[in-house]
Amino acid sequence: MRQPKIIVVGGGLAGLMATIKVAEAGVPVELFSIVPVRRSHSVCAQGGINAAKNTKGEGDSTWKHFDDTIYGGDFLANQPLVKAMCEAAPAIIDLLDRMGVPFNRTPEGLLDFRRFGGTLYHRTAFAGATTGQQMLYALDEQVRRFEAEGKVRKYEGWTFLSAVLDEQGICRGICAMDLKSMQVRTFPADAAIFCTGGIGAIFGRSTNSVVCTGSAQSALFQQGVHYANGEFIQVHPTAIPGEDKFRLMSESARGEGGRVWVPRQPGDPRPPKSIPENERFYFLEEWYPKYGNLVPRDVAVRAIHKVVFELKLGVEGQPAVYLDVSHLPRELLDRKLEGILEIYEKFLGVDPREQPMKVFPAMHYTMGGLWIDDENQATNVPGIYAAGECDYHYHGANRLGANSLVSCIFGGMLAGPAAVRYARNLERGADAVPASVFEREQRRQEEINERLLRQEGNENPIAIWKEMGQWMTEHVTVVRYNKNLERTDQKLQELLERYRRINLSDRTKWSNQTLNFARELYNMLILARVITLGALRRNESRGAHYKPEFPERDDQNWLKTTRAIYDCGNIRFEYDPVDVSLIPPRPRRYDVK
Amino acid sequence: MTASGTSTSHREYFWRKLHSFTGIFPIGAFLAEHFWSNSYALVSVEKYNEVSRGLQTIPWRVPLEALLIWLPILFHGGYGVYLWWKGKSNVLDYPWMANWMYTLQRWTGLVAFVFIGWHVYTERFLTQGKSTYADVERALSDPLYFWLYIVGIVATSFHLGNGIWNFLCKWGIATSARAQRGAAWFGALVGVTFTAVGLAIVLGVRFDWKPFEFYTLPRQ
Amino acid sequence: MAEKKTVLVRIKRQLAPDQKPYWEEFELTWRPFMNVIILLRDIAERPVTREGKVTTPVAFDANCLEEVCGACAMRINGKARQACSALVDQLEQPIRLEPLTKFPVVRDLFVDRSRMFENLKRMKAWVPIDGTYHLGEGPRIAPEVQQRAYPLSRCITCGNCLEVCPQVNERSDFVGAAIINQVRLFNLHPTGAMHKRERLDAVMGPGGVHDCANAQNCVKACPKGIPLVESISEVNRDAIRQAIFGWLFG
Repeated sequence: MRQPKIIVVGGGLAGLMATIKVAEAGVPVELFSIVPVRRSHSVCAQGGINAAKNTKGEGDSTWKHFDDTIYGGDFLANQPLVKAMCEAAPAIIDLLDRMGVPFNRTPEGLLDFRRFGGTLYHRTAFAGATTGQQMLYALDEQVRRFEAEGKVRKYEGWTFLSAVLDEQGICRGICAMDLKSMQVRTFPADAAIFCTGGIGAIFGRSTNSVVCTGSAQSALFQQGVHYANGEFIQVHPTAIPGEDKFRLMSESARGEGGRVWVPRQPGDPRPPKSIPENERFYFLEEWYPKYGNLVPRDVAVRAIHKVVFELKLGVEGQPAVYLDVSHLPRELLDRKLEGILEIYEKFLGVDPREQPMKVFPAMHYTMGGLWIDDENQATNVPGIYAAGECDYHYHGANRLGANSLVSCIFGGMLAGPAAVRYARNLERGADAVPASVFEREQRRQEEINERLLRQEGNENPIAIWKEMGQWMTEHVTVVRYNKNLERTDQKLQELLERYRRINLSDRTKWSNQTLNFARELYNMLILARVITLGALRRNESRGAHYKPEFPERDDQNWLKTTRAIYDCGNIRFEYDPVDVSLIPPRPRRYDVK
Repeated sequence: MTASGTSTSHREYFWRKLHSFTGIFPIGAFLAEHFWSNSYALVSVEKYNEVSRGLQTIPWRVPLEALLIWLPILFHGGYGVYLWWKGKSNVLDYPWMANWMYTLQRWTGLVAFVFIGWHVYTERFLTQGKSTYADVERALSDPLYFWLYIVGIVATSFHLGNGIWNFLCKWGIATSARAQRGAAWFGALVGVTFTAVGLAIVLGVRFDWKPFEFYTLPRQ
Repeated sequence: MAEKKTVLVRIKRQLAPDQKPYWEEFELTWRPFMNVIILLRDIAERPVTREGKVTTPVAFDANCLEEVCGACAMRINGKARQACSALVDQLEQPIRLEPLTKFPVVRDLFVDRSRMFENLKRMKAWVPIDGTYHLGEGPRIAPEVQQRAYPLSRCITCGNCLEVCPQVNERSDFVGAAIINQVRLFNLHPTGAMHKRERLDAVMGPGGVHDCANAQNCVKACPKGIPLVESISEVNRDAIRQAIFGWLFG
C-alpha cells in the first residue's frame, strides 16, 4: 500500500496535537513552524482549560458546559461539534494530565478547578497562570519523542507561503520559505493541516505574539479556501497597554476573586488604596449581580467601554480601569497566579499584590477563521484541514475563557485522523502529481519575492501596517458603525494600493525579516478587508459584534454563518444557516438574576 | 561504570567523578596529615625531626607514596589542567560570588599543582627522602622560596576548601540552597583553617617561632 | 514643548554567519515604557544610523513579548537577558546590544538555539505515555509535588543559563542547566520516573551533568527564577547513586 505523507503547518497546541495523532497512526508528518514550536503563541495562554469534570460537587455536566459555550457564543456556533468537544473535554484533561502537565492539585491529589468567565461552575483546570505554556510543552515533548523515533520531521524557521493545488484544485502539498536562507521550496503531501493560530497583528497591537499575523489563513483564502465569521473578533477586557503589545492579564485573576472597579468620582487623583470601599464603583458586580466579574468577555468589554467613554470614569481620566487582586492572600496569589502577576511587576514595576493593576481591553482572539465542515475539520478545498484558532467552528460570536485550549486540542484530535483517512483513501497520491504543478507554484512565490526585492517606491511597510492597525482597532473592534466600517474598507483599499509602492529597506537575501514581513503585510490587508466587510454586512449585534445602530440580535436575518469567498480578486459573501438543532436560541442576558 | 544495556559512554563521567573524589581523598586527606606532621615544627626542632624520621622510615614507603600521593596528585593535577583549559571564565561580565569562586578554583588549582610539583621535587627528591628541619629552614631563608611557600599554601588551602564545597554540591550531598550555603561555610572553614595552619608552620620555621615549645619543658 | 529625550543604542551587527561583525550606533526618540523590542522596531521603521547612514533593519528573534516564549534573549549591556522585559529607563546608555555568544549567529541579534532542543531529545525529556487514546485519569500527585514540579516546568528555553555558564563554550559540549533541569522535572513525575534510569544514563553521557563546575551563574541569570543549581545537584545525587549501585550491583 502506498504510504501517505501529511504536512502540519503551525506548531501550537492544535498543530502539535494533530501531529501526534498522525504520527500515532503511523503516517509520516512534516511539521512547519515559523518559530521553534516550543515558542508558539499557545505559550501565552494563561488561565486554564475547561472541562466539566464536576469534582467540586456542583452538579456540573458536559451538557452545561455545552450550553454555556453556545449561550456565551450567542448561538452562532454550529452545535453538534461543540457538543462533541464539551463531551471530549474531560478525557482531554486526563490525557494532558498523563502527559505530565503540572496542573494544580487539591489536597487529595486530584486536579483542581477554578472559575472562569461565562459560567457559574468551577470548570477550569489550570497550571498556575501559565496553563497554555505547560500544555504546549507537554505536547512539544510528545512530538519530540516522535521526532526522536523518526516519525516526525520538523521544519522550524520556515514560513508557509501557499498551498500547492493541482489542476482539479486538490491540495498536493505546500510551498514554504526558509527564513534563514530565504529559499522557497515546495513539499509534496497528500493532505495539509493548518493550525496557524491568531490574527492579532492585523490590529497592530494585540495580546497576540509577533507571529500571529493570519498570513497563512489569508494566503489560503486567496487560493480558494473559504473564511467564515471573520467579523467576530474577541477583545479581552483586561490587558496592560504597551507600545509594543498589550500584555494579557488573565481572566483567572477574576476567577480567583479579583475585582474590577473605578473610582466613583471622575478623575479621582487619590492613590487607589486610599479610596474607601463606598467610593469605589464595582460596575461589573453592580450591573451583573449573578456573574459579577465573570461575565463573558464581550459583556465585560462593553461595560468597560461604557464606564470609560460614556460615564467618563476611567482611572485618572485615562482609558483604564482597576483590576484588583490586592485584597487576596499572598499565598494564594503566588500559588495560582504568579505567572501573570510577575508580568505586571516586570513590565510596569508595580507589585499587583500591593496595588490594583491598571488595565484596558485589547484585541485578543478571532472566533472566525477558515471554514471547516461539521465533522472532519476539512475545509472546502480537498486535502486542506484546519484546526485551532485559525478555524471558525467552536466559539460562535464570542469565545468563553479557557475554551480555546479545549478547542485547539479537540480540533487537532479530529483533524489528524481525518487527514490520515483522506490521504489513505486518495486514489492518486501527491507522488503521482506532475512536477510541473510544484514548479509552477514555487516559481509564482519566487517571483513575488523578486518583485518585492526589486521594486522602488516610497511606501514603508511598517507605516502601512501601523495605519491598518489603528483603523482596525478603532473601528472594527468593540463598537462598530457602518459608516466607519465603510471608511475602514476604503482605507484598506488605499493601503493595498500603496502597498504596490512599498520599498524594502533590506534587499539582502539572507534572513531578511523585512521581506517576510512585507509578504505577511499583504495577506494581513486582505484578511482585514474580510473582517471589515463581514462586519459591515452583518446588521445586528451578536456576541462580540456590536453595532449601536442595530443593538439587538436578529435571529430572523442573521442566525447565519458568514462565509467569505475570494473570487478573482474580489471578496464575495455567502451565508449558511446555523445548526441549532440541540439548543434552541434564547435571549442572552447576563444582567438578570 | 556503564549502566547495563545502553550505549551512552560514561567514560568522561567516570574520570570527572574520580577527579573530584581524588581531590578529597587521598589528596585532601594527605594534605591534612602533611599539615599535621609539619605542625611539629611549632613544637621543637627535635620533635619535628623525630616525626619526619618516623614517617620517612615506614615500611613500603615508596609504593605507598606512589599510590596514595604521587599518582593521585599527578592525575588530579593533570586532568585538572585539562578542565582548566575547557572552562572559560566570564567573571568580568558576571561578577557574582560563586563565579569568582569558580574562576579562583581554576587558577589556584594551577598554582597549587606547580607549587606542589616544585615542593615535592625539592623536599622529597633532592633530599633523597631524608629532608630535615635544617633543609626546610635553609629553603625558607631565601625570600623567594619563602613567598613561594606563602602563595602555594594559600592557593592549596583555598583550592581544598572550595573543592570541598564543590564536592558536596556536585555529588548531590548538599542539594537545597540552604544546604549549599551550609556546605559553603564548611568549605570556607576548612580553607581558612588550612591557610592558618600552613602559614603558621612556614612562619614558625622562618622566624624560629615555637609557640608549642613549652609542651616539651619539664613540669615545674 | 519640552526638548525631545533620546536614547543611544549600539548594536553589534553581522550580515550572515560567515561575515565579520561590526557595530552601528543609533539615536532614537525616547518614549515612556520603552523596551528593547520597541527600540529595534523603531530602527526597523527608519533604519538610519546616528551618523545618518542608511542601513538595514536589525534582525532579531522575538515572539510573545511577555517573557514566556523565550525567543528574544540577547546580550544587553553585556548581560544575557530577554529583550522584551529590558526596559530602556532601567538601562545605562549607550545601550549595547549583542547576540548571545554561545550560539551560532544567524544574522545580527538572531541566533540559532536548536542545539538546546536537540539535547532535550537526547535526555528523553518527556513523559512516555502509551498513546493518546483514552486510558483514564493520570496519576494522583500531591499538591506539594506539583508545587515543586511547576517552577521547573516554566523554563522557556531562552538559553540565558547557557550563555552565562563558563563551562559552555566551543571547547566543551556541556548541555547546560536548562536541559539538566528538565531531567529533574521528568524524573519527578510519577510516570516519568519509570524511565528515570534512561534519563540519568543520558545525563551521565558526554556533555552531561558532570560538566557543571558550580559557577552557579545559571540560577542568577534565569529570568524565571528556576532553582537550577538545586536541579543540577539533585540530578547529580541521583546520577551518582545510579552510577555506584549500577557499578556495584548492576
